[in-house]
Amino acid sequence: MAHKRLKFLGVAAAVLMVAMACGGSPSGGGGTKQYKIGLVTDIGGLNDKSFNHLAYVGLEKAKSDFGIVDSVTESHSGNDYVPNLTSFASKNYDLVIGVGFLMQEAVGTVSGTFPNIHFAIIDGAGTDSTGKDLQHTNVQSLFFKEQDAGAMVGVISGMLEKQGKAKKNKGVISAVGGVSIPPVNHYIAGYKWAATMEDPGIKVEVGYSNDFTDPAKCQGVAKGQINDGSDILFQVAGGCGLGVLQAAGQAGLYSIGVDADQKAADPSVIASALKKVDVATYTAIQNVVKGQFKSGALTFSIANDGAGYAVDNLTLPADIQAELKTVQDKIKAGTLTPPADIP
Amino acid sequence: MPLGSVLLAFVVDGLLVGVTGGNPFAAYGALLCGGFGFICTQGENPVLQISNTIVFVIPLITTGVAVALPFRAGLFNIGAEGQLLAGAIACTAIGIKFSSLPSPILLPMVLIGGMVAGALWAGVAGVLKATIGAHEVVTTIMMNYVAQWFLRYLIVGGPLQLAPGTSKSSPIGAGARLATVLPNDNTLIIFGLPSSVYRVHTGLLIALAAAAIFAFLLWRTSLGYEIRAVGQSQKAARYAGVSVRRTIIVTMLIAGAFSGLAGATEIAGVDHNLTDKYFSDSTGFDAIAVALLGLGSGVGIVLAAILFGALHAGGSVMQADANISGNLVFILQALILFSIAANFVGAIRQRIPGLARPPTALPPEMPPAAPMMTEAAVPPVES
Repeated sequence: MAHKRLKFLGVAAAVLMVAMACGGSPSGGGGTKQYKIGLVTDIGGLNDKSFNHLAYVGLEKAKSDFGIVDSVTESHSGNDYVPNLTSFASKNYDLVIGVGFLMQEAVGTVSGTFPNIHFAIIDGAGTDSTGKDLQHTNVQSLFFKEQDAGAMVGVISGMLEKQGKAKKNKGVISAVGGVSIPPVNHYIAGYKWAATMEDPGIKVEVGYSNDFTDPAKCQGVAKGQINDGSDILFQVAGGCGLGVLQAAGQAGLYSIGVDADQKAADPSVIASALKKVDVATYTAIQNVVKGQFKSGALTFSIANDGAGYAVDNLTLPADIQAELKTVQDKIKAGTLTPPADIP
Repeated sequence: MPLGSVLLAFVVDGLLVGVTGGNPFAAYGALLCGGFGFICTQGENPVLQISNTIVFVIPLITTGVAVALPFRAGLFNIGAEGQLLAGAIACTAIGIKFSSLPSPILLPMVLIGGMVAGALWAGVAGVLKATIGAHEVVTTIMMNYVAQWFLRYLIVGGPLQLAPGTSKSSPIGAGARLATVLPNDNTLIIFGLPSSVYRVHTGLLIALAAAAIFAFLLWRTSLGYEIRAVGQSQKAARYAGVSVRRTIIVTMLIAGAFSGLAGATEIAGVDHNLTDKYFSDSTGFDAIAVALLGLGSGVGIVLAAILFGALHAGGSVMQADANISGNLVFILQALILFSIAANFVGAIRQRIPGLARPPTALPPEMPPAAPMMTEAAVPPVES
């Protein structure tokens, strides 16, 4: 038996050596510098069909365009943010991207530890434990003008209502926000502003679920709005908002998705307000590759194709399509500016 | 036996990786690097990796003890997570309220506060079990939910919320924090990196002390004897003059204190405030695996916690370096547990001549999971 064990050890050692041999990858010794980009997801993971997924899409596009070396780490709990960001930074990555405001504090901490490493964070900044922006010169914040995207779906809702092409046509539409925080209110502000612009008599009801994860809570708020006559419901509440889409579907009404294209989430989804995290991620990488990294906020809007809309399970009449194009062009040109605060 | 289960799990997991098109050797190489700093090929700093592992290991030891102790009394404490949260909440509340007190006073206050909160949280289940016979599995699970939602209330719109729109509390006072082993300094370079990346804190000593106290309590005190007696047979214990009710309640109180201490050391040593990360924390559930794998001995719990901590830390590196999803680590953890519970290794051993041990091979002191394992360990008599 003893020699069997020895034999096993021998095999194990051989296996280990092979593993080490396989593990050592050839380092790029070419003439041009190969940039190393690390992406850390939040606890949503890569398949969240939203922020993390879109960030990955942007990373892959940058990989094929710039030939960067990319590496992704999914965070499985909040305990992982700091070690995951630190890991890339300690390996001298050229840019470390954190996805989502949940990582603000971790980015603030790690960017302070590694002042020579560039960081980018989606929808947030590098903060201290009280949420104060530390304004580190190696951190770029990727923000969005959500009101631009909100305005586009607001145009659709307002015109459908005005033309009597919605389901109930009582002149009432609504929005369900997760929590009353700036990114949520930006969306709703643009939505209400544009709907009122198209149909001055329209009533836009706004409610909050105080939750971003539990669909049941958003469904409750949505049902209240449906009882008040709303027949187009805009969800601005992440995973919780799926309950809004479902409530609208069950009542045979229209709904509008948020952040990513939510066409597949429910048949009731007629359009989605888009926050193009892929564009933001790609741009941040591009800046680093071209040596144009800048700290502070970089804002994505319709003007730089970082926000927009998608038309989903409904074919829009030609005049609405035309109006969408007009409004989009005006926002792009700066002649129309959707407000950041709910009017 | 547990070693065999772990090896078996690694082999099966390696096969899974291979079948799904990955390179199991690359995966395990990266796992070793991430967990223990061995054979790092992509420029990881070995000391940093070990430091990360230890940070994960600290609460696993303390909560592992909190699950293992009731095991010995025949109680299944699924509520370590809830008790941990109770401890974290108490630690934060005290650390904020008395933030101006100096460390020699405030630090013991927050740690003891966390222990008391955890003990009370587990004590509810203990009292219910001892008085009306409510099953502790059900009550501790329910108490987990209560703790999770209470925490959510506190920092989302509740009294501990930092500011509207945030989901965290204010930071605890400087005096309530556990020191890191290496100075928290961005300019001091140690082992090639700023020393603030090494987050190992003095809570490590607390965790090791918890494991030692556990072993001492169980084997060197009359209370430990009573706990073991109740665990093996309540009737026999009663005949021997042990108050079963009292033992159950006391066991749960002590277990809860350990879990609460784990929560308090996490706040005092790592986070310094309550954040939304605790909504998805799973330390108290991993602790069940640690207690099972550690066979309920102090040393075993420490070793099992090191394994699970290393798996946790290594999973991220495995994804970054070998491009194999970190979820593999969770499969591995599940396989280890599964393999222990089903006692595959024992069954295999019975079939190989020369390796078969007589069925009495269980250690004279029953392992904590004995009630779940004895049937599997003793093959039915063939007719």
